[in-house]
Parts: sequence; C-alpha cells; structure tokens
Amino acid sequence: MLDARVWLLWALTTLVAASSTRSPLYVIVLLLTTTVVGGTCATGEGRRAPLSPLRFAVVAVPLSALFNGLTVHFGDTVLFHLPSWLPLLGGAITLEALAFGALNGLTLTVIFSAFSVFNQVTPVRDLIQLTPRAFHEGGVVLSIALTFIPQTTRSLKRIREAQAVRGHRVEGIRDWLPIVVPLLVSGLERAMGLAEAMVARGYGAVTDEDHPLRTQGLLALGLLALLAGWLTYLFRAAWRISAVVTMAAGAGIIGLALWLTGRRVQHTVYRARSWTSGDTLTVLGCALTLTVALTQRETLYYSPYPQLSLPPFDPLVGTALLGLLVPAIVTVAKEDRGPDARGTQQAEALDEAP
Amino acid sequence: MSTTTNGANLTLAPSIQVRNLSYTYPGSSEPALSDVTLEIADGEFVLVAGPSGAGKSTLLRCLNGLVPHFTGGTVQGDISVGEHDPVDEGPQTLSRVVGFVFQDPEAQFVVDRVEDEIAFALENAAVPPTEMRLRVEEVLHLLDLAPLRDRQLDTLSGGEKQKVAIAAALALRPQILALDEPTSQLDPQSAEDVLQALVRLNHDMGLTIVLAEHRLERVLPYVDRLIYLSDPDHHVLSAPPREVLKQVELTPPLVELGKGLGWDPLPLTVKEGRRFASRARRRRQDFIHGTRGGNGGARADKAAPTSAVGRPELDRDGAFTIENLHFAYNGKPILQGVDVQIAPGELVALMGRNGSGKTTLLKCVVGLLKPERGRIKMNGGSLVGQRTAEISKKVGYLPQEPSDLLFADSVGEELAITLRNHDLLDRPPIAPDDLLARLDLGNLKASYPRDLSAGQRQRVALGAVTVTKPRLLLLDEPTRGLDYRAKRELVDLLREWQAEGASILLVTHDVELVAQAADRVMLLSQGEIIADAAPEVLTTSPLFAPQVARLFPGTDWLTAEDALEGLEA
Repeated sequence: MLDARVWLLWALTTLVAASSTRSPLYVIVLLLTTTVVGGTCATGEGRRAPLSPLRFAVVAVPLSALFNGLTVHFGDTVLFHLPSWLPLLGGAITLEALAFGALNGLTLTVIFSAFSVFNQVTPVRDLIQLTPRAFHEGGVVLSIALTFIPQTTRSLKRIREAQAVRGHRVEGIRDWLPIVVPLLVSGLERAMGLAEAMVARGYGAVTDEDHPLRTQGLLALGLLALLAGWLTYLFRAAWRISAVVTMAAGAGIIGLALWLTGRRVQHTVYRARSWTSGDTLTVLGCALTLTVALTQRETLYYSPYPQLSLPPFDPLVGTALLGLLVPAIVTVAKEDRGPDARGTQQAEALDEAP
Repeated sequence: MSTTTNGANLTLAPSIQVRNLSYTYPGSSEPALSDVTLEIADGEFVLVAGPSGAGKSTLLRCLNGLVPHFTGGTVQGDISVGEHDPVDEGPQTLSRVVGFVFQDPEAQFVVDRVEDEIAFALENAAVPPTEMRLRVEEVLHLLDLAPLRDRQLDTLSGGEKQKVAIAAALALRPQILALDEPTSQLDPQSAEDVLQALVRLNHDMGLTIVLAEHRLERVLPYVDRLIYLSDPDHHVLSAPPREVLKQVELTPPLVELGKGLGWDPLPLTVKEGRRFASRARRRRQDFIHGTRGGNGGARADKAAPTSAVGRPELDRDGAFTIENLHFAYNGKPILQGVDVQIAPGELVALMGRNGSGKTTLLKCVVGLLKPERGRIKMNGGSLVGQRTAEISKKVGYLPQEPSDLLFADSVGEELAITLRNHDLLDRPPIAPDDLLARLDLGNLKASYPRDLSAGQRQRVALGAVTVTKPRLLLLDEPTRGLDYRAKRELVDLLREWQAEGASILLVTHDVELVAQAADRVMLLSQGEIIADAAPEVLTTSPLFAPQVARLFPGTDWLTAEDALEGLEA
C-alpha cells in the first residue's frame, strides 16, 4: 500500500495532466491509466465508490456535449439551426461544439476517476494523518464526514422505501419533505450518538499544551505581513521585490505559527507508515507526467474548432503520461513477489472455506 | 424507595458503589432513576434488566459519567467506580476505567478500518506507538479479530462490528466494561458470538461486565448478578439471578415454566431445566406418549382454527400467493423459485439466517424490488408491476427500522399522512382514533413520535402502515429491541387482526415469538424455501427450537403455556 501523500500527488498529477489537454487520444490514455490503477489497487477491501466512473461518464459526456452544443454556436460543420429568438440557445448547432463538450465530459470523467481511486485506496485514518498536526481536529471532522456519507446514503434509501410503503410519491420538491426531515433527524441523532461514543472513549481527555498568545500573535503578524506585501505588490510597482520578500516572510511566520500549534497537539500515530521504494517510484512517475503536462502544452493542445480534425498524437508524450501507471505496476510486482500479511490471511480464509 | 438485596461475591471488593442515586433528565418532571442503591464487585458479570424506560441505559451512563456530563440534568446521591467519582470527573477521565459499548455498533465508529478504529482512542490519548501496537494486538486476539484487522468496517457482519466496538472500548484497558443492549440489533448467532466473547473476557481477564439487555434468555446463563429496574416506581432488585427472577413477572419461557411448576432452584439454562423436565415427564409419561408424533395434546388444541381469539377457518385456497419468485442482485441469485401461500387469518413466520433473502422477499412483494420472474397475487390480482404506493393500500409493510417512517409532529398526524397519501383522509377505512386506542396509543396522540419508547414507536409505525386496513401485513423483525411486555402486546394485537381475517407474514429471528404466534413456519435458506410446516417443525431444529421444545424433546410443546397445559392435563 502506498503512502497517502503519494496517492494525493498521483491524483493531483492526473488532474493537472487532464486539465492540460483536450486531445481525445491523450484523454483516453489518462482514462485507461486511472481505470487500470483503480482496478489493480482499489480492490474490494477499500471504501466503495459512491458512483462508478463508467456511470459518471454515461451522464457527464452526453450532458456536457449537449450543454456545449446548445450554447456555443461556433464551428464549420453546422448540423442545424435553432431559432435566433431563443436566448443563448438560438443559432447554429455545430458538430465541433458537440465534440468539444463531449471532450470536456471525458476530461471530467478522468478527474472523477482519479479522485475516486484516491478515495477508495486511502483509509480514513491516513486522510487524518494528511492534515497538518495544527489542524488535527479538522482532520477528525473530515474523517467523520467521510464515514457519514455512506451511512447517510444508506439512510436515504431506507427512508425513501419506508415512505413509499405508506403511499408516498415523489412528484415535486415539496414531496421530498417526508424524506428530508427523517434523514436530517436521524443524521442529528447519529451525530449525537457518535459524539457520546467519542467522549466515552476519552476523546478530548488529553488537553493540548496551552500557549495561545505566542502562536496567535505570530499568526496575526504573518497574516499582516502577507497582506501588506500583497497590497504593495498591487499598488507600488517599484517596490515589487520588497513586496515579494514581505509576503515570503509572512508565509514563513504563518508556517512557524502552525508548526508551533502542531507541536502542542497531544497525539500519537499508530503504525506510522514507512516510505517504500514503491512510493519513490510513484513519485518519479508522477514527476515525469507532471513535467510533460507542464512543459509540452503545445503538443498536448487540441481543439476541434473551427473544423473537426484528427487529433495529433506524440508517442513520447503518450508514454510519459503512462508514468501514472506506476501504482498499478508496483502493486502487481508486490503481489508477484509473494503474499503479504493480508494475502496470507486471505489464503487462510480460503483454506477454511468449505 | 429502592430495595437492595446484596447477593453473591460480597467477599470481593466492590468496584462500583451506588448510594441513593437519583437522576432527572433536563426538562423532565419525572426522575429516570430514583433512590438507587447497589454494589457491583470486581470481576462480576452483571445483567441490568427491566422494561423499556426503566432507566437501564441511564444507570449504565452514570457509571462512566456520560450522565450527567453529556446529558445535563440533576443528580442526587453518590456513585463511585473504583477510586473515581464519575459525576465529578466526567466521562473522558472515566474512559480509562469504564469502557462503554452502545447498542448500534455503526453509530460509534469514527474511521473505516478495523485496526484503525481500535487504535483511534489510543492515538487521541497520546499512548506511545510501541505500547499502542501491543494493546491493539492484545484486543485483536482477545476478541478473535486478528484475521479481520485490515477489513473495512462496512464489510463486517453485525456481530463482528459489535466485537470491534468492544475491542475499541477495551483498548484503553478499562477494568469495567458497560454495554447497552449490544445484541439487540443482532441475529441469534451473532448475538451468541458477542456473548461468548464477553464471557471469555470476564472469565479470563477478570473484567467486570455490566450489560443491559432485554432478551434475558440469551444472557442469564452467564451472569453472576441480575439488577432489575422496574418502572414506574424504579424499584431496584439486585441479587443473584434466581432470587430476582422469582420476584419478576415477565421472564424467559424457561423461567416462566419453572415458576409455574415450582421448580427450585429456578433453571436458567435448558441443561439445568432438563433435570426437572425429566422428572415432570416421568410423572406424566402416559400423557407424553399419547401426544408424541401426532398433533394431539396442548399445542394441537391451541392451534385449532377456532381459538380463544375466535380465529376463523383458514382458507387454503390462499388470499395471497407467491409463485416461483426469482430475484438476483448484480447477477447473484437472492431468491430462487420461492413459493408462498397465506390464507386469510393466517400468520406465517418466515425464518432463516441473515442474508437468506427474507427482507428481499418482502420488498419484492411491496414493489420496492422488481423480481426477475414469478407471480405475486392477492385475491387473484397480480401485484407485480404495480407501484409501491398502490400496493401499500392493500399490503401493510413494517420495515426493520420503524423510525424511518416517522417524521410528523404528532402520533395522530403520522396516521393522517398515510391516509392523505392514499386520498383516504375523508373516508378512512378505520377511524384513526379507534386504531390508536387499539394500539394503546390513545393518550399519546399529540406526542412527538420520536420521543416515544422503542415499543411505542413500533406501534406508531404499525399504525401508519395499517390505517388503510390492509388485508396482508408484512412485518420485518418487529420485536427487535422490544421488552417482554411490548412483545406480548404485539402478539395480542396480531391475534386480533388475524381474527378479523388479515393475513400476516412475519420475518423474525425470534423463535419464542414464532412459538407463541405463528400458525405456520417457513424456513428460507440461500433464497429457497427449505421447510414449510406447522410451528412444531421447530421442535426438532437445533438452530430454531425454542427453549421449551429443547426441554421436552419428542413433544410438540413450544411455549411455557403449552408445557404447563400438557403437564397438567
């Protein structure tokens, strides 16, 4: 299993790469990459994705194509015209606009797919660890929110069914009231129950060391320096270098304040994950893809306007995008080397099965 | 005024001492606990029992300071847990002394993996990592959770989830474990797994266990002391189980039978009861021989079509039929050729292990799930393809979680909403006030439904789905979380509806309920009906036999009443 920070880097790299191109060939390479990584790394033991990328694509691609096709009246291949008196929609409906919309939908699918994989492969506890120590409590809140999502989805389904069996039909917005009210009430009840359970398990028993004045003062000073530098940068062209230095100093002071705050947080980490060669390889793969995405913008560029044409494809650039495949390769290689602890357990479970 | 009868283990140091404890919730005029005095010794396994609303959960929450620190309210009297005073020190400090486990395991999870959930409290207590590893390993092994350590919590069974919740509570190494109805949401097998784990912790680790539970028959064999809180006078009995059970009205069938026949000491397990049963059987040898193998005897008399409640003759042509029903989810078959027939006035119990397809079958009937193929008919008309809203006029379906139905401001409004949904507000098939009176909710018409007890909420939900006077009732685990009194009231109500010709399909794990109420039992396994017979079929089933049937093998007795009548005949 890779480090959560590495997975976050992988997802962000995919986001940058997908945002850098509208060439269908490169987008498809990215989509295949995220699909392979998802299929290899996000196995049954991870969190379930609320929506599969395929289902997302089925909705996002046609919707995006339709929206762009109806609102952008540019392109040489005119399919038909909508009356000009129709606000926004009136004008030529072109093949190019539809194609560009569909490409946008496909790009969104790549981004959705990458973050869906990130969501599935990263345990909630690792997400808490991702947050800086100064924001530890915020991280716990985030983790609770994440575990609440599937519970709320299940509650919503149950409540819809329960209301349906007393003759309730959802035909308008008002009809959602009998579903939303019990959903909210049960959510609040669950939140109270969880708060009670956390208190019963000693959450908040260990109080953080207290030196708020120094850290608060530092934070205020840092923000002030940041603001002063920014305003100077905007309104005093001659003092731009000083402005940048002031902003950097402000950022540094804020960083120091957060570090001091983090040191006060009384919290230990169970089984801190050690950095592996897989993590290094994935970072290198991401660096390769990121470099290409940021430096080869012209090669990656494609626009169907004004007339739809075959998109170009540079095999070197395409190969560089495959740097995002590293997590899948690392996982497969690890499995091939022999069963790890989990594999042993699964083998034991299989042995015990009738 | 409370009465305390100190029983066993007084030689041990008391780890919990409660003196004249009274507690009133904020905004309430009535105390939830009144003048409670009791002691619990180190290493005891204590069961806290009593009807809903008697204050069991409140008492447990007093042990770790959740009451009053989390709830507010007024406390009088003293409570000490070891060297600690929960009222002064609060739940966060007491978390090192008292581990607490709640009814619904899912409601207490913070993260998503087994191991991480157990470590969560330790991380927040800033326990050094090396010690944390040791403690997590300890509890994983104590509760047999090591093979599940990497699993996502939502992939676990109910029993496994509850064991993870117990492990998470034990990670802080408390000396006392308090559990608030930890098995009420579980099927019998999972409940047994959890109880066995608790017994192990009590025996091997010397952990003091204080457990609140409705289903006494599950727990009595293991406990050293029974604390019985009775409502409404909050009279407290605290003594070895047999002493308390003699003074309590509603008890498990085995104890009820023992009390009826004057068995002394009262048996708490079927094994203990067999000694008395064999003596009783010897005395009634002739009678038992006379009933063996046939439908004669007490049970046959009770099951006769015209019973005391005036049950009508069963119409075997069937008002409700399911034929060759198939349902699959993601390609996996869930129901495979299910056939069901229920006559008017008949109550059929559908039993089976978790995941056998019971709830799926009910959902197919009311149109929440679309079967792959098969026929579902009522009075000759097909229900397949009809909308759920339409079907629900003729079929009342009570889902497992009654709170999902309830959202109105008052009990009366809940019934009115169903009538409005069906356009029946002006011409209700049953007068809502009459139905409320029948459900024993007449005086709660203006109450907020979610403030009521579990049994009352169950009845409000039942009212909300039956106010259209459906001819078929589908009940999914209706006795989950109910006390003996609420169960008995439910059975009485079902019998009344049967007498009026309603057909009832009851999905349950509760074998004692089936023994009391069912005319017929169907067993579902892996989507197929593997048995469809009179309830006496349960007497030979090691998995589903009620206590009385296990006590008197070879007879067709299922309930304490059957046995009492049979033995006295």
